[in-house]
Amino acid sequence: MRAFRPLPYAVTVLVLAGTLTGVAGCASSSGSTGTGQPVTTGTGTGAVKRLEVTITGTTVTPPPAQVEVPVGTTLELVVTSDHDDELHAHGFDDEATLEAGVPTTLRLTATEPGVYDVETHDPPLTLLSIAVR
Amino acid sequence: MSTPSVLTTLPAHGVGSRGDLPLPFTALVVAAGAALLISFVAIAFLWREPRLHESDGVLLPGWLAGILDSRWLRLVAQVLAVALTLWTLLALVFGPDSARNLVPHVVYVWLWVGLAFASMVLGPVWRVINPLRLLHTGVLRIARVSPDLALLPYRWGLWPAALGLGAFTWVELVAEENTSLGFLRVLIASFFAISLLGAAVFGRTWFEHADPFEAWSRLLGLLAPLGRRDDGRWVLRTPLHGVNTLRGQRGLVATVAVMLGSTAYDGFSANLGWATFVQSSPLPSSLLRTTTLIGFFGLVALTLWLASAVSVRLAGQPLRQSVPFVSDMAPSLIPIAGGYVIAHYWSLWVYQGQEAWRLLSDPLGTGADWLGTADLVPAAALIEPTLVATIQAVSIVIGHLLGVLAAHERAITVLPHRAAVIGQVPLMVVMILYTLGGLTILFTP
Repeated sequence: MRAFRPLPYAVTVLVLAGTLTGVAGCASSSGSTGTGQPVTTGTGTGAVKRLEVTITGTTVTPPPAQVEVPVGTTLELVVTSDHDDELHAHGFDDEATLEAGVPTTLRLTATEPGVYDVETHDPPLTLLSIAVR
Repeated sequence: MSTPSVLTTLPAHGVGSRGDLPLPFTALVVAAGAALLISFVAIAFLWREPRLHESDGVLLPGWLAGILDSRWLRLVAQVLAVALTLWTLLALVFGPDSARNLVPHVVYVWLWVGLAFASMVLGPVWRVINPLRLLHTGVLRIARVSPDLALLPYRWGLWPAALGLGAFTWVELVAEENTSLGFLRVLIASFFAISLLGAAVFGRTWFEHADPFEAWSRLLGLLAPLGRRDDGRWVLRTPLHGVNTLRGQRGLVATVAVMLGSTAYDGFSANLGWATFVQSSPLPSSLLRTTTLIGFFGLVALTLWLASAVSVRLAGQPLRQSVPFVSDMAPSLIPIAGGYVIAHYWSLWVYQGQEAWRLLSDPLGTGADWLGTADLVPAAALIEPTLVATIQAVSIVIGHLLGVLAAHERAITVLPHRAAVIGQVPLMVVMILYTLGGLTILFTP
């Protein structure tokens, strides 16, 4: 048998333990800030957040961004497109038909943490993503 | 106005409709710091003589080794694999062309991601249960022909596997109709045809080297704590021992580049900035995505070769030595690829993998519940955000640590003694870049 060299093992264990506690300790407390221009009415569970998105050709206004909502929030998404299309909120399993020029409202209630994309199909566009915490 | 409807469409991106929350900034900083610290400590303190031997490992008790070697265990696993394959083919041929079809989940979640996780725990399991290999063996046995029958000698190493993996990841990450039944029928039929043709011409060596899923399972399976030492007995060992048994071979660099590049592209393409760029560009989006995916493969291969070129120059060797050297060092990227796989696919596997059970119960889309799992609600305990962020950061850091150690062992084995320490610095720099890149991809919304 070769001599047991403890140093590399000790360093490894220390670094990993440090990473583990560091990440676990901080992961829940911090987060990146969402952009977009949400108009929030009320806060916390049961709150309603309203967002308006306009599609002109392949241009999405405001530009696609991640919108942060706490679990339990209802997101009211008003989408107006200049062409007929299909609107699809992944994860929420919700779809709507878009008629050219007619604002369409999708009400999405966030139940499970994660990131969900809201897309159209023709042409395929990502409108925004919803980060549920 | 929202109309509740039966979904006819699936996300363009594989099968996951749910993504992970961005890695918290603190986790990014802690993990990046740990990776840097590990790298510097490694340079300063690690062993100076090769110390990983194929005879190492803690012997498993006889009864456990007996179970692992038993024909019954293998037979049960093979019967299950064949049953699942036939079940999937049933749904492929007769099932509905909608989100209720189980085929996309079996292919993109169970086969691709599930096989990766199973292999990292148990070793190269796909070679035992590969249904096409079983079909090939069965046909030869029925025809009373030697199992080693081959018409031509095989000499391309892992190149066909690299191409196959590249093609599969393109299908998974870029192809637009990749969950439609028509697409999957063509995909699976072509794969079966190519595999059986390859096996008919080159014999079972085809599965050993050219089959993309066997390569995926075998390379990630090197990280498994379970393995056989050089005398064939079952041992528990470190992932480093497994990785160290892999020698450079044709196509290995390409295969590793595809493994690492595809996972990185998967994370990168989920980035909103990228999505915005693609959809507002006048160029066709499939062209942009395809080029970028290939660019990721190329970037990994190029950086790896550049590091090797600098290494051999530092070691005072001619530049042409960089070709065998890059192949020698490529195995040490496998732990990093494994870390990426865990970080990116953990939640897909533990959450969407359960979803597959629900679909599996109704292969024909008739509303049947043949397995009694139709009402299964996936448990969300394993995708709790703090847990996921921790698993992501830790798996990337452990992948980095193992990669650095594996590269160190290989460098002191193949480089001249005086140049071994300085010679591994370029590769370590590349590894740091991969790790920081991987963390940044997880952090960016």
